[in-house]
Amino acid sequence: MTTDEARELMRSVLRPIAPEVDFDSVVEGETIQEALELDSIDFLQFVTGLAEATGLEMPERDYPQLSTVEGCVKYLTSTH
Amino acid sequence: MLERDVRRAALVARPETPARPQTPGEDRQRAMQRAIGALMARSKREIPHYYLSTTIDLSPASSWLEQANLERPVAERLVMATLLFSATARAVKRVPEMNGFFVDGDFAPSEAVHLGVAISQRSGGLIAPAIHDVEHLGLDELMVQVKDLIRRARAGVLRSSEMSDPTLTVTNMGDLGVDSGYGVIYPPQVALVGFGRVRERAWTQDGVVTARPCVVATLSADHRVSDGMRGARYLSEIDRLLQEPEKL
Repeated sequence: MTTDEARELMRSVLRPIAPEVDFDSVVEGETIQEALELDSIDFLQFVTGLAEATGLEMPERDYPQLSTVEGCVKYLTSTH
Repeated sequence: MLERDVRRAALVARPETPARPQTPGEDRQRAMQRAIGALMARSKREIPHYYLSTTIDLSPASSWLEQANLERPVAERLVMATLLFSATARAVKRVPEMNGFFVDGDFAPSEAVHLGVAISQRSGGLIAPAIHDVEHLGLDELMVQVKDLIRRARAGVLRSSEMSDPTLTVTNMGDLGVDSGYGVIYPPQVALVGFGRVRERAWTQDGVVTARPCVVATLSADHRVSDGMRGARYLSEIDRLLQEPEKL
């Protein structure tokens, strides 16, 4: 998966969870959860969406790596 | 303005997936804020609130949750909020004065616990629709229902019964990053439970200090129906239940 594909996947997964938010407004270093005001259940839905789209297991211990946009992109491009 | 105005404002359907982020409907937002404000003003005018808080050690709950999630595919994993909601609902069995309605000068306790869950709509509103009969739901079923409720709340497709019949409300303010918060009771309900952020705190036991995941639980309750003694009993019961997460 390329960086652009990873970003597009994240954007499409977030859309139904948080239709009001602007994914592109997240700046580097910010956590997705804070920047987009996702609660813990929204975040779980986000991870679920990524896991379903990629077939990856995404165990809970990997959540910290998925918490920022850069981290997520790295995770998706390196493991998939 | 009445509760039903808030409900009506909350029930205005919104498109499930707008093609792109829209400029939020500012009129709707303002109407909703006014309706919530009116309801909260009435609550503060009519309900003699009292407030209590307690810090709960979540080590057993965290360990249990971590273990439970190890074995689950991501779609079936649980979050701590589910355990907190379940304990909140089950604890009323011992302190029924927290669950029901104050109507026409009298408290009418409710058999069932229809737990109102405060959900922020990012456009600015705050609603607290109910999950029904939470005291009988296992954690898996509760998690399914919480997810479904949040999804539908955000999409603006709630059933009117969900908006009208919560018997007790819970707000999980931890996701907003604060340590604790005291809610305003939704009339005609008589209590509201708030949970702050789960974070590690220094915990002293038997003279030894350790770092443990903790949460501050708060209670806002109606003095016409209960008192600090019963309120304290209720929070202690929530604490007790959270120490045995496998039984939730």
